[in-house]
Amino acid sequence: MKRREFLKLSATGAVGASMLTIPPRSWAQGPIKIGMPAALSGSNAQYGIQAKRAAELFAKDVKGKGILGRPVEFVFEDTGGDPATAVRKAQKLVEKDGVKFLTGVALSSEALAVSAKCPEWKVIFMSTINGAGSLTTKSFHRYFFRVNTSGPMGARAVSLYLAEAPMKRFFALGSDYAWGRDSVASFTSQITAVKKEVVGTDFSPVGTKDFASYIAKIRQSKAEGVYLVLAGQDATIYLRQAHQFGLNREVKPIMEILELENMKAVGDPMVGAIGSSRYPFTLDTPKNREFVKRFHELHGMYPDMFDGETYEGLEWLAQVITKVGTDDVEKVIDAWEESTYEGLEGQFLMRKCDHQAVQPGFAVECVKDPKYPHPVPKILATYPGDKVTPKCRTEEFS
Amino acid sequence: MANVLEQLLNALALAGLLFLVSAGLSLVFGILRVVNFAHGVFYMLGAYLGFTAVALSGWFWPALIVVPPVVGTVGALLESSTLRFIYRRPPIYQLLLTFGLALILEESIRVLYGPTAKGVDPPALLQGAVNLGGLLYPRYRLFLVVLSCTVAIAVWLFLSRTRAGLVIRAVAQNSEMADCLGADVARVRTLVFGAACALAGLGGVAAAPMTTAYLGMGISVIVEAFVVVVIGGLGSIVGSMAGSLIVGAAQTWGAFYLPETAMVIVYAVMGAVLVFRPWGLFGEEE
Amino acid sequence: MSASRVWAAAALVALAVVPWLLARHQLSLLTDLLIAGLFAMSLDLIMGYTGMVSFGHAAYFGLGAYASALVLLHWAQPVPVALLAGALLAGVVAVPVGWFSTRATGIYFAMLTLAFAQFLYTVAYKWRDLTGGSDGIAGVPKTLLFWGGPSVAAPRAFYFLVAACVVLSFVLCRAVVGSPFGRALQAIRENERRFTSLGRDPRPFKLGVFVIAAVFAGLAGALFAPFRGFASPEVMFWVFSGQGLMMVIMGGIGTLVGPILGAMLFILIQEILSSYTEHWMIFTGVVFVLIVIFLPGGLVGTARRFGVIR
Repeated sequence: MKRREFLKLSATGAVGASMLTIPPRSWAQGPIKIGMPAALSGSNAQYGIQAKRAAELFAKDVKGKGILGRPVEFVFEDTGGDPATAVRKAQKLVEKDGVKFLTGVALSSEALAVSAKCPEWKVIFMSTINGAGSLTTKSFHRYFFRVNTSGPMGARAVSLYLAEAPMKRFFALGSDYAWGRDSVASFTSQITAVKKEVVGTDFSPVGTKDFASYIAKIRQSKAEGVYLVLAGQDATIYLRQAHQFGLNREVKPIMEILELENMKAVGDPMVGAIGSSRYPFTLDTPKNREFVKRFHELHGMYPDMFDGETYEGLEWLAQVITKVGTDDVEKVIDAWEESTYEGLEGQFLMRKCDHQAVQPGFAVECVKDPKYPHPVPKILATYPGDKVTPKCRTEEFS
Repeated sequence: MANVLEQLLNALALAGLLFLVSAGLSLVFGILRVVNFAHGVFYMLGAYLGFTAVALSGWFWPALIVVPPVVGTVGALLESSTLRFIYRRPPIYQLLLTFGLALILEESIRVLYGPTAKGVDPPALLQGAVNLGGLLYPRYRLFLVVLSCTVAIAVWLFLSRTRAGLVIRAVAQNSEMADCLGADVARVRTLVFGAACALAGLGGVAAAPMTTAYLGMGISVIVEAFVVVVIGGLGSIVGSMAGSLIVGAAQTWGAFYLPETAMVIVYAVMGAVLVFRPWGLFGEEE
Repeated sequence: MSASRVWAAAALVALAVVPWLLARHQLSLLTDLLIAGLFAMSLDLIMGYTGMVSFGHAAYFGLGAYASALVLLHWAQPVPVALLAGALLAGVVAVPVGWFSTRATGIYFAMLTLAFAQFLYTVAYKWRDLTGGSDGIAGVPKTLLFWGGPSVAAPRAFYFLVAACVVLSFVLCRAVVGSPFGRALQAIRENERRFTSLGRDPRPFKLGVFVIAAVFAGLAGALFAPFRGFASPEVMFWVFSGQGLMMVIMGGIGTLVGPILGAMLFILIQEILSSYTEHWMIFTGVVFVLIVIFLPGGLVGTARRFGVIR
């Protein structure tokens, strides 16, 4: 009786397990699938949500005609901003859903982890948000493409602008993690190269909620401008507190990313801040105005930086796939290299050597505009792509 | 000289905020023997409700008065519908229950308010800065110091001088005996939990003009609150005051001189206190 | 054969046969679940059998992951070498941490473990040259089974490596728990004062089990690094420790096999729910609260209560 019991158990187990088997899909045609393992919950959700919004608009725009006549299917997964979850979700997207393109990853730490697996999975990783310089230098591989402006490029745009500005003394305050440290280092070397001074540097832990001590130090340093590389929420808190201390009048906030999210959360105290924007929605070209209008119609708000950059990435990817006539990954990679694209921000060129899209950089200022319910970025200067993009596989500029 | 005064005020303002958050946590442990992981989320709820109150009424002061009782009610309702049933179990269960509640509450707030941080402006009376002998110091931070001191004294007086406070302390010492002597233990527990959440909510409303209401606030403050309570001794209001001052000072001076290691310094202080007094400065031996 | 032996045999058979029954991504998920299960089981040693609640257990998982990542990436050693490195590093670090922490009890013990874990997290976060800082270490390869041996890069091969480690760890943990040492631990959990009054010092036992638990957590982390291909500070963060506690309770505290199942349940719920809604955290929280209130014995405890198993 015991042996029969045992056999029954094993048989049940085997049958049960086999019912879980789903044969892998191996269609030659069928929809073009794009996987988006984005941070849709947790403290970095605002970035993943931007990627999702852009994808939704893009899906609406290509509805009916698709790409190569095939419908476009987006598969969203929530990573919560955690690299381990991101890899797990990305693996599921590749192995179960059969996506060939991964994009919309919000954090650089997630991007590094997921991208490292892409050569093994043979899928393309398209960065539309991630700024870490190492993605196109140390950690570069063939399956990685970066459509967005990188962190070093943003820092470069700011430095170019400040080289002409009257300010001479700067304090640098960064969040104490990879982006903060790298960006401050990049800024410091560029600003001293134009004979200006960095009078103090500080790194605050991510999640700092009281910047009083830093504000005191910045004031004491008698800097004219403070270069801020702070994680989204930290930047919001800093700007409000600096305003309460009256610091913003004395020391101009200069931000490596001037985001709409911050402007909405901080409001008027942020007016007058300058910095770089990866995609300023106020850009006055016919194509961009059209895009902003469609975006506003669908989502009821104005596109922030990653809304715009993700849309551009998706549009460009679609164009490349159309041009090469297939979504075969290797062929798409070959076709994408050295190709150009007319984006919302201007002309893009995908460099073959490091798969970084060379694109214009923008220096912007946060201003009040009665047309909009919150402050908006006004473009102060536009720099051509080759001036703001670092030399291949380095962090140096020509 | 202005420098030292500024840092002192910064430390006091931060300590004040920490006290508002951690006093409730300490009380809940002292009286209910529950480690309330959801405490940080009540703080966050207070901040968000404060935002709504200000947006609706256009005034800040009503928010200070109206929001804490609302948060307290939410807490009391949760306690009486979930926690009440598992007091007899080993403490790990209550701790994990509050962890689960924290997840539910935090995500609910996100559903209601969305991911963008919500700014709250200080009331007109407290905007701008005050000139203290050459130092320009924000009025709102001074208000925080005053508010937290007032609340601290009020809570201490309540617990040590009123009859209700006596009952609460009796339940903390020996709930079965207090029950025999006619105290409604279940009701005391619910009220204390609710009051603790109200305090956290008050902390949230008070913090919102300084830090904005944002989604990560609960998680980021709960660890600090635990450290404060452990240093001060669980269950002691005086301990919470002492712990808040120590942690506030350590964070402020740490941020000034060694910013990247500020939190590590705080943990080191906690470790040092526990080495010499394993139950915190004012805690009781278990 | 007794009922539990039947279950054990069935489980072994299932583990051995399943790679050929599952689709590729399901196998990946199962491997993931087993690693998490090992982590949760190690936590049960201190939580379920000794009654010590640790908020810092994730730190040992993280240490194991980093050690393994570095060994595999920089020295390209066979995977078992990396596993050993991870388990050892976790164990070695657990000695001083455990020595300090076990001086306190209850919530104070828990807070000390949290403090040390956060300290280690900060070190991992800031020591960029060694750990890659906030970005972590990516591109960790799956290497060989032993020098000159076969590669474990194939999903099935790696799965078997993980399954073997988990089964072996389970057997070892069972041995620990059933030994006189293990019985002493349970005595301490039941009534530490009485243990002391009988003339025995609980501290060496508590320290011992703390280190053993850390070793197994480190092993889990060391398996994680080549499996996911990276190590980053997030795996050391206290939220992950908290999730470990949840896994133990969901599966059944003090049962060793329960936490493994609890880990699987916890991750599966999240996986399934998060594909349907962004707000899966609410449902996870509700499920968890319901389990805590109505099914305190977790999966295994409830099964026992209803006579499904012994």
